[in-house]
Amino acid sequence: MEILAVKDLSFSYPTCSEAALTDVSFSLEQGEFAVLCGATGSGKSTLLRMLKRELSPLGKMIGDVTFSGTPLDKLNDKVSASAIGFVMQDPEQQIVTDKVWHELAFGLENLAVPPADIARRVAEMASYFGIGSWYDKDVSQLSGGQKQLLNLAAVLVMQPELLILDEPTAQLDPIAASDFIATIKRLNQELGITIIIAEHRLEDVIPICDRLLVMEKGTLIADGRPEHVISEIRGRDDIMCGMPAAARLYTALNSGDSCPLTVRDGRSFVTENYRNDVRALERENAAPKTSPALSFRDVYFRYERNSPDILSALTFDINEGEIFCILGGNGSGKTTSVSAAAGINKPYSGTIRVFGKKLKDYKNRSLYRECLALLPQDVTTVFLRNTVREELQDAGASSEELPYDISHLLDKHPYDLSGGEKQLVALAKVLASKPKLLLLDEPTKGMDAAVKQNIIAVLRELRSQGITLAVVTHDVEFAALCADRCAMFFGGRIVSIGTPDRFFSENNFYTTAVSRMTRGFYDNAVTLPDAVELCRLNGKREA
Amino acid sequence: MRRFSELNPLAATVYFFCVTGIAMFSSYPPLMIVALLGGVLFFIVRNGSSHMRSHLFFLLLFIILAAANPLMSHNGITVLFVMNDNPITLEATLYGLNSAAMIIGVLYWFRSFTQIMTSEKLLYITGALSPKLSLVLSMALRYVPLFSKQSKKIKDSQTAMGLFSDDNIIDDIRGRMRIFSILITWALENGITTADSMTARGYGVCRRTQLKRFTFRRGDILLLVTSLLLTAITAAALSLGKLDFSFYPAVRYSAPDALGICGIAAYSALVLLPVIIETEVSLKWKYLLSRI
Repeated sequence: MEILAVKDLSFSYPTCSEAALTDVSFSLEQGEFAVLCGATGSGKSTLLRMLKRELSPLGKMIGDVTFSGTPLDKLNDKVSASAIGFVMQDPEQQIVTDKVWHELAFGLENLAVPPADIARRVAEMASYFGIGSWYDKDVSQLSGGQKQLLNLAAVLVMQPELLILDEPTAQLDPIAASDFIATIKRLNQELGITIIIAEHRLEDVIPICDRLLVMEKGTLIADGRPEHVISEIRGRDDIMCGMPAAARLYTALNSGDSCPLTVRDGRSFVTENYRNDVRALERENAAPKTSPALSFRDVYFRYERNSPDILSALTFDINEGEIFCILGGNGSGKTTSVSAAAGINKPYSGTIRVFGKKLKDYKNRSLYRECLALLPQDVTTVFLRNTVREELQDAGASSEELPYDISHLLDKHPYDLSGGEKQLVALAKVLASKPKLLLLDEPTKGMDAAVKQNIIAVLRELRSQGITLAVVTHDVEFAALCADRCAMFFGGRIVSIGTPDRFFSENNFYTTAVSRMTRGFYDNAVTLPDAVELCRLNGKREA
Repeated sequence: MRRFSELNPLAATVYFFCVTGIAMFSSYPPLMIVALLGGVLFFIVRNGSSHMRSHLFFLLLFIILAAANPLMSHNGITVLFVMNDNPITLEATLYGLNSAAMIIGVLYWFRSFTQIMTSEKLLYITGALSPKLSLVLSMALRYVPLFSKQSKKIKDSQTAMGLFSDDNIIDDIRGRMRIFSILITWALENGITTADSMTARGYGVCRRTQLKRFTFRRGDILLLVTSLLLTAITAAALSLGKLDFSFYPAVRYSAPDALGICGIAAYSALVLLPVIIETEVSLKWKYLLSRI
C-alpha cells in the first residue's frame, strides 16, 4: 500500500530566484526504508520538510504531496502531528524540556492524551529503547548519542506511520551513529514503520535500505534499489565518493556482475575475482624526523580534584610540518589533550612544550600570536559578528591570501552557512593569526564526502605552507587519506602510533572499511586507491 | 511508607505555607519558639550533622537580628542600661529576640522546603495551576545550563584564538560583551529549531494535558487534612484574640484559656508532623530490614 506520494513537486523560496525543488516525483510503499542522498545544498532538507506539513517552509509550491491517499494540507491536525514523525540534525536543539521523562511525554501532552495513557505509552517506549536507566535524569546530563535517541523516542511515542529523518547522525561519533542506525533498522523491521532518511554516512545505511534516492540541484536524478542506482551513477565521482567502500571499489575496477554493498560482500568480491601474488604496495620510508612542534611529557590532567584522570602520563611528539591525526573513542582524552596544548586546560603534572618552549613561558598570551591556534569542535563558537566579512576584518584576515575561495560567502551571516562552509570560514579566521601549529578538533563532523575531500585538500595545502597540523578525529577514512602519522588514544594515553598504512593495517577493528575488506589478502591496502592499485597489479583470476 | 520528601508536592507545599504562614502572621512568642525549634529540628533530622558551617552562620544572623532592635529602637519602659546616651530597654530586647526567632525559623523552614521541592515537583505544582506555565518553566530550566555551557565554549574558543589579547581588565570586559551579544544570537537561532521541534510534535493543536508523576494517596490526603485542621485551630485561637501579646510600652499578656492552649498545642503538633513522619518511617524501615 502506498503511504506517501509526491507528484511533480516544485518549490522556490520567496527571496530566491532559483527553484529549490523542480518536478520531484516519487512514492513510498508502507514499510519501505528509503535513503535520500545528495551533496549539501541539493535540496534534501527542503524536500523532507515538504513532507511534514508543520515544517514546510514558506514559498511557492506546485504539485502535491499525499499521505495515505489524503493531501497533506487536508490532514487532520492531530493526525498530521502524530502520524508523520520528524527527527532533525541537531540533537541538542530539538529537545524542549529539562527532564527525559517530560520530553518523552511532550508530544502526547500536546495531543491531549489522558495522563494515564501517556504514562503507559511513555513507559512502554522507555523500555523498548532501554531508556529506563536514564529516565529520571536531566537532559543536560546525557551524551550526544543519548540525546538523539531521546529525540527519536519522543517522536515514536506518538506512534508515527512515517518517520522522516534529516541527517540524524551528523553530530554523533561513529559508535553512537551506528547504534542510532541500528535502532532505525529495528523500528523498520519490528514495527514496520516506513522510513525516509537523508544521510551523509552512507556506509552504514545503504546496505540496509530498500530504496536509494539521489538528488542533485533540486531534482531527483536516481531512484531505485541501491545496487541499480549505484550502477546508474557510477560515472559520477562527486556522488560516488560518499557510497560504501565496497561499492566504490566495484565501480572503480569496473568489473564483476553484482555490486557489493557491505564489507563482507566487498571481501568476497575481491578474493573471488582477483589474485594476490603481489601482497603489498611499496611505500616510501617515513620522512626524516624534524624537531618537534608540540611535545607532551608525562602529562596528567583531571577536571576536578576527585574525578578520574582524563590524561594520564601522556607522552608524545608532533613533528614540525606533519599532519598528525589523533583517533580514539569517546572520553579517551583526545579533545582534552588539544585543549591542554592550547593552554585552556591546565595539567596538574607534566610539561607541554610548543616549539621547544614550555607552555607557561608564553607570557601575556603570546602563545596565540603567530604561534598556535585551536579550531574547536563546535565552530559556531568562533563567530562573533553578523557577516563573514566583518568576521574576517575583525580577525585581520583577507580572503585573498587563503588557499581556498570563500569570497561568495562574505555577506552571509556565519550562522546561516552549511557545516563545511562554517569550517572554512572559521579556519580563515584562525589562520589570520598566522599560526605555525594548528590544532583542529573534528574538522569533518557532519560533512558529506565531497566536502571532506575539499577539507583534505585544504589541510594538505596548509602543510605545504609549513604549518604543522594536529587533527583530532573520529573519522578513520579521513585520517587514512590525509595523515602523515596517526595515534590512537585510549584511557588518557597513546597506545599506538605510526604512519597510516602501518597503523591501520595493524588495527583489526578500528580501521578503514578497505582495510577490513582486504585483511589477510593484501597486506597494506588502507585507502581505496591502494586497493584499486593492488587489484590492478595482480590482475583478475582466470575464470 | 513514604518519607516526608516523597509525599505529594501539593500536600507538602500546603503544609509549608501553613507552618510559615502562622509564624509570619502572628507574633506570639511561644509559637515563634516552636517554629524556630521545629524548623531547626526538621532540618537536622533530614541532613544529619552536615551543613555545620551554615548553622553557625544562622546563629550569627540570629544574634545580629536580635541585637539590632534594642540598639535601634528605644521604646519600652524598663531601662536595662544606657549605652552612648541611649537607653537599652527590656521590651525592645525581647521584641528583637522574638522577631529574630521568627525570621530564622521561617528561613530554616524554607531551607528544608527548597531541598524537598526539586524542579520536577515545582513543575507539578505549577502544572496544576496552568500546564502552559509549567512548560515555560521547564523550558527555562533547560535553557539555563545550556546557556552557561555554550558561553564557556565560546569563551574557550575565543581565548585560543587570541580574542583576549592582553592580560588586562578592559580587554576582558570588551571580549565578554561580544561573547554575550553573540550568545543572544545563538539563543534565538536555537529557538527556531526548538520551535520547529515543538510544532512538529503537535504543540498548539489543542489544549495540553500533563503527565502527572505524583498521585494523591492516603498519606497525602491525611497530611493535607491534618495540616489544614491544625492550622484552623491555631488560626481560630489567634483571630479570637486568645493569643495576644504586646511588647510596648510594657510587656503585657493574658494567660491563655482552653482555646489558646489548644492553639499552641495544635501548632506544636503541626510543626512536629514531618519529624514524626520521618521517625516513623525510619523505625519501620529498621524493623522491615531486620526481617530480610
